[in-house]
Amino acid sequence: MIGVLKSMATTMKHALDGNTFTVEYPEETPEVSARFRGIHKFSQERCIWCRQCENVCPNDTIQIVTDKQRNGEQYNLHVGQCIYCRLCEEVCPVDAILLTENFEFTGDTKHDLVFNKEQLKNVPWYKDIDPLASREPDRGAWIGEGEGEVDYQ
Amino acid sequence: MSTQKEEPETPATVDEGVDVDEIESLIGDHVLEREDHLNAPGFVIRADAVQDVLGALKDRAGYDHLSCVTAEEHEDRFESIYHLRKYDDPTDELSIIVPTSRDEPVSESAESVFRTADWHEREAYDLVGVQYDDHPNLERILLPDTWVGHPLGRDYNQEKPQIVTFDENRNPLEEDHRGDGEGDTMFLNIGPHHPATHGVLHVETVLDGEQVADVNPDIGYLHRCEEQMAQNGTYRHQIMPYPDRWDYGPGGVLNEWAYARAAEDLADIEVPEYAQVLRTFSAELCRIACHMLALGTFCLDIYGDFTAIFMYAMRDREVVQNLIEDLTGQRMMLNYLRLGGVVWDVPEPREEYFENVRDFLDELPERLDEYHDLITSNEIFQARTVDTGYIDPETAKDYGVTGPVARGSGVDYDVRRDDPYGYYEELDWDVVTDDGGDNYSRLLVRMREVEQSARIIEQCVDLLEDWPEDERNIQANVPRTLKPEAGKEVYKTVEGAKGELGVYIRADGTDKPGRFKIRSPCFSNLSALKEMSTGEYIPDLVATLGSLDVILGEVDR
Amino acid sequence: MTETPLPDTIADLLGVGGFFGEALSMLLAAALVGTIMLTMTAFAGPWAKRKLTASFTDRISVNRIGPWGLGTIIVDAVRLLSKELIIPEGADRPAYDFAPIVLAGSALFAFAVIPMGNGIQLADPEVGLVFVFAMASIASLGLLMGGYASNNKFSLLGGLRAVAQNIAYEIPLVLTAASVVLFTGTLQMSEIVAIQQSTTLATIAGIRIPAWFAFVNPFAFVLFVVANLAEVGRNPFDTPEAPTEIVAGYQTEYSSAYFVLFYLGEFVHIFLGGAIIATLFLGGPAGPFLPGFVWFTIKIWAVYIFTQWCRSAIPRVRIDQLIGIGWKGMLVLSFANLVLTAAILGVTGL
Repeated sequence: MIGVLKSMATTMKHALDGNTFTVEYPEETPEVSARFRGIHKFSQERCIWCRQCENVCPNDTIQIVTDKQRNGEQYNLHVGQCIYCRLCEEVCPVDAILLTENFEFTGDTKHDLVFNKEQLKNVPWYKDIDPLASREPDRGAWIGEGEGEVDYQ
Repeated sequence: MSTQKEEPETPATVDEGVDVDEIESLIGDHVLEREDHLNAPGFVIRADAVQDVLGALKDRAGYDHLSCVTAEEHEDRFESIYHLRKYDDPTDELSIIVPTSRDEPVSESAESVFRTADWHEREAYDLVGVQYDDHPNLERILLPDTWVGHPLGRDYNQEKPQIVTFDENRNPLEEDHRGDGEGDTMFLNIGPHHPATHGVLHVETVLDGEQVADVNPDIGYLHRCEEQMAQNGTYRHQIMPYPDRWDYGPGGVLNEWAYARAAEDLADIEVPEYAQVLRTFSAELCRIACHMLALGTFCLDIYGDFTAIFMYAMRDREVVQNLIEDLTGQRMMLNYLRLGGVVWDVPEPREEYFENVRDFLDELPERLDEYHDLITSNEIFQARTVDTGYIDPETAKDYGVTGPVARGSGVDYDVRRDDPYGYYEELDWDVVTDDGGDNYSRLLVRMREVEQSARIIEQCVDLLEDWPEDERNIQANVPRTLKPEAGKEVYKTVEGAKGELGVYIRADGTDKPGRFKIRSPCFSNLSALKEMSTGEYIPDLVATLGSLDVILGEVDR
Repeated sequence: MTETPLPDTIADLLGVGGFFGEALSMLLAAALVGTIMLTMTAFAGPWAKRKLTASFTDRISVNRIGPWGLGTIIVDAVRLLSKELIIPEGADRPAYDFAPIVLAGSALFAFAVIPMGNGIQLADPEVGLVFVFAMASIASLGLLMGGYASNNKFSLLGGLRAVAQNIAYEIPLVLTAASVVLFTGTLQMSEIVAIQQSTTLATIAGIRIPAWFAFVNPFAFVLFVVANLAEVGRNPFDTPEAPTEIVAGYQTEYSSAYFVLFYLGEFVHIFLGGAIIATLFLGGPAGPFLPGFVWFTIKIWAVYIFTQWCRSAIPRVRIDQLIGIGWKGMLVLSFANLVLTAAILGVTGL
């Protein structure tokens, strides 16, 4: 019986001390960490249309259309399908695509969640935080030369 | 027993302690040729000699752990690979390769030697198409019974969609005659829609009153073709986000490490020491989060929904997830490891992060004491969990059970200690075992493992803090594309939160794997459910399922 | 005391008499008592249960709709009633429909004889206590009907468990109540309450301690509370409805209005259990300063909070262990309690 009474005492203690762990969203916005991976922000000014992001994306979420002179025409990102792995940001040599901390985006249908260049440009920062300042991936690593052999791509 | 035993634990020889001549002398007449995988010597044997060979290896050479059965289809043949190990020494590994012809892919089943081969061979039949003679129940396991074709075989048309009917699959309103033959038994479907099946798991039970006469878990509801997706992604970057989704407990780093370990072995990449410490640190954080979830859901099954203990476990898990989020950027699907290291160092300012971690570690003993007050010393809880779901160590080994379930039955097997990786060897921690073999011991093992993980994290934090600044190398230099040599095969395991998580990769010269096989601990653990719950009551079945801690993402992949 | 206190009061207030007047006043009185209980249940179910569970689990629960979240009650009512009423094929129709009505109705019927203070008591027959227990037991019939008629194996298991549990714990419950009757010498509910209040147990520092049976024989009190937990189906004895084992037990196939009846009926039963405990052991509506009805409400809510506390903290007992505790443990203890009561009464001469 003692064990049962101890259990009951423990729960009653929690009830009486009044601490709550709830975050009252949306009145209180939750604290997300500086490295949180939310929706993408694309900057056409920086993009050099190298297509590395399209190549590395694990589930073909990014679609790039360029014309014959390799000028960029379309940059479509299906944010509904994206797995938010951040590989596109990692391989981009010019920080043209970033993952902001913004997670508050919605769509009524699946098709609403395909964002084109303009929409990606207009994604706001979450609480005015620029994610690049807090994330510094080791760029030297992926551009490394391996051992000896030249790496033709 | 053979009088000549091969040397057990010295990894100094090239074959990591496997005395190849010894093995040859045991099974020599069945061996067709020799192959060599990166981690183990391989023996190609005839398709009808499987039981003899495996039986000899198990009984006379001591290879009692059938870790994984990989099946694949090459251009000219099918192959089943049996990865054998020893519970006493997992570095002592063998691969037994059984080729069969493409027109008649029949080989002998290993089920009579290793009970765990039952489900593994069913999966091989299901996904690749190899058939096994003498198998007690060769039916599809992951795909629906009426599926046509074998998706991982070469002839399968990946583009063509398929609509599958449920013809023999249970019309819920139809009269079910399955239990009728026995007279007083009742057939009951627990799940897949059920508050306590930890995911979409379907357990077909035959009940005698309230007692369980027979249990048959029917899995495959969460099959997401993870192996095939990995086979379609490049080694360097694209596969790494997927292992997070196997054990979504959240065991992110633990799963990613399984893949990273196998791929780094394959491509011969060395990870810098600082990155190893970071990997160890984040892996143990993930392990604590997984065990908290396991604790919470196990107690949920015994207490009922939304009672205090479940919410307290969730609250503690939240704290850990916040720490993980600060480090990796996400709470669950981390994508934190890369081949050659990790993607980020500890977040700046470092002192603040370490302080948060230390605060969490300081609070942890108090929280664990509270759990002891709330659950383990509760007499009713003990009456529910002691002596229920019992499995003895021998049966556990036969079913390939690993992780806290095996350690709860006294099997002293932990990959972190026996086949070391990361920084585990340099740190001071213990492997927790308990001899009870019932649900209660498994719970105690998990709670004590949380304490051990806390010890490891504390040591890692001390190390990370004092590491000299210019030696903080988080990634090795790895080329942008990796193309391991064709024909190289490797099978490596790590200690996931649920047990031994293994990845087998065969390279075919391109930048994507030729075959990617995942050895999932929950898959083997779940196959032992029948042993554990026959003869007990439904509430015990539910509690046992909870204590096995199955995450369906890992079972079905 | 008259046989029907509340209807007589109403008849006097309205100034009606004769057969129809009496019938009218009885109906009005019944409606009043029913409304009081259902209102309390409406507070307890959607709102208080959530708030209590949240306080035990470090959360803030319903707090958005209305002041302190009380609007949830209305929202829940609308939501539950607007759901589709799905009747499974093959359900045994009249039994399937009657089951929730039996469950909810039996508890409400039992409230007819509970003295709630300030003259609110529908009827006061001389065998009031027996009537209460009889009505409370009819609930198990409702559970069995629901479980069996649903054409669902989970419901069947739940129904069978409910019957086994109720039968096992009915006897200790009634025996412990019988020990109260030893003390009071009467089965009439109002008398039981009056005797508890009027007899003085002791006088400490000038404050008179009335002979509430909980003070006279605490052992019986504890025993009755535990047996009551089993009767109403609350942790650790909530096996008929064990959500993690048999989905929702006997309630699995019920939706919309029937589900509301089951849900509320369960809470009315909890309050009924609390009311019986209050009447038999805690002096009913007795208490200083505040009117009797307020004290009565406080007492039954205290019992309700106790059941919620048990639900959060105590695991569920397995069915075979539960039957074992019932027949082997509680039965023996309640017989011992009878002997103990006799001894106490003999010694203290109450």
